[in-house]
Amino acid sequence: MFYKILALGLLAMSLAAPGHAQTAPAGTAQPAANAVDPAAIQALKDMGAHLQTLKRFQVSTELTGERVLADGQKLQHTATADMDVERPNKLRALMVSARAERELIYDGRTVTLYTPAQKFYSTVQFDGTLGELVKRLEDRYGVEVPLSDLFLWGTPAAPLDKIESAMNAGQDFIGKDLCDHYAFRQGKIDWQIWITAGSKPLPRKIVITNRGDEARPQSVSLLDWNLKPTFKDSVFKFTPPKGATAIEILPRKTK
Amino acid sequence: MKNAFSKLFLTPLIVLVLASFAMAPVAEAAGGGGHGGGGARAGGGGGGARQNVQVNNSRADVRTNNVRSTSVNNVNVNKNVNVDVDRRGGCCNGGWDNDYHPIATAAAVTATVAVTSAIVGSMVRTVPPGCVPVNYGGMIYQQCGSTWYQPQGSQFVVINPPY
Repeated sequence: MFYKILALGLLAMSLAAPGHAQTAPAGTAQPAANAVDPAAIQALKDMGAHLQTLKRFQVSTELTGERVLADGQKLQHTATADMDVERPNKLRALMVSARAERELIYDGRTVTLYTPAQKFYSTVQFDGTLGELVKRLEDRYGVEVPLSDLFLWGTPAAPLDKIESAMNAGQDFIGKDLCDHYAFRQGKIDWQIWITAGSKPLPRKIVITNRGDEARPQSVSLLDWNLKPTFKDSVFKFTPPKGATAIEILPRKTK
Repeated sequence: MKNAFSKLFLTPLIVLVLASFAMAPVAEAAGGGGHGGGGARAGGGGGGARQNVQVNNSRADVRTNNVRSTSVNNVNVNKNVNVDVDRRGGCCNGGWDNDYHPIATAAAVTATVAVTSAIVGSMVRTVPPGCVPVNYGGMIYQQCGSTWYQPQGSQFVVINPPY
């Protein structure tokens, strides 16, 4: 029995080897699997550099995310965020999901988290860039800023040297915009990005797949841009509405 | 065990004591939560008009909250690949899009149910006196001694403590 299996194994190997040798050159000089295409990395660099040049803009996102239940069944949820941004240090974000509506307001000195439904607000003193704000809120409070990548790409906080696979996946339309489509792998995360083609590259769609869970939960974010916003400076200033109550924001606890 | 029991016994006492001292803010907190249910979409941004009603999850199957721990946030690229995210044992902490608090995970839950009579996953219209609203991880909770509530529409759901 054992020898039979061994013999079968050897047979399979001997069949596979020449088969592989024959199919490999059949492709049209494709790079080896898992290679990091430098042009794809350069596209991220160019997009990051362009993002950092945007001083004042509006961006909104519609997101579909997934969570995995104990038995592997997946449920999708949706959320939206509308953001007014002025670099280097002003932000107003409205985050809406099924159960919660929240606002994050930062004027360069004070960060406020406000929930209109309950009229609760929490404030924290902070001065720093939006990139630093992203890190501070995450590290100290476990609060995630929507589309935080927009403030990190093009800075050292978004290193590109650990990407294990990078490829150009062709072109695609997102809405009316022609985009270059790229796909990346790093650790247990696969991600894709659609960047508007041309000299002013902006991300229009981002897909992230988590391979750490066999159900592979995925999120899809569509981004809409307004580079000529009309909002006033006052949007970055939070004035507690009548009847609003200040409540404590707890630093995150580590288990 | 003795320790745990006395702790459980103490909690209602503490709540009572707190309640007697802090009646005014309590009423305000509970009232605030209740009114929240009215749910007009206030202020900000845009996104167009959403139907002006609150979601009602009271008929959602309890299984929908049994989210497994590997199902982590994956909405921002750099957070996934470049930040050493402390998962804190929960399912989806920290994702700005994710307002689902896992309520059916900890095995210890059933042990406390009988004593506190606040069954994790159950809905209440108002929170008991003595609750304090806090923001943790960007979400609003009502902390009532060892019992935690999360606003859900005009009601509240009893959850496992978020930390």
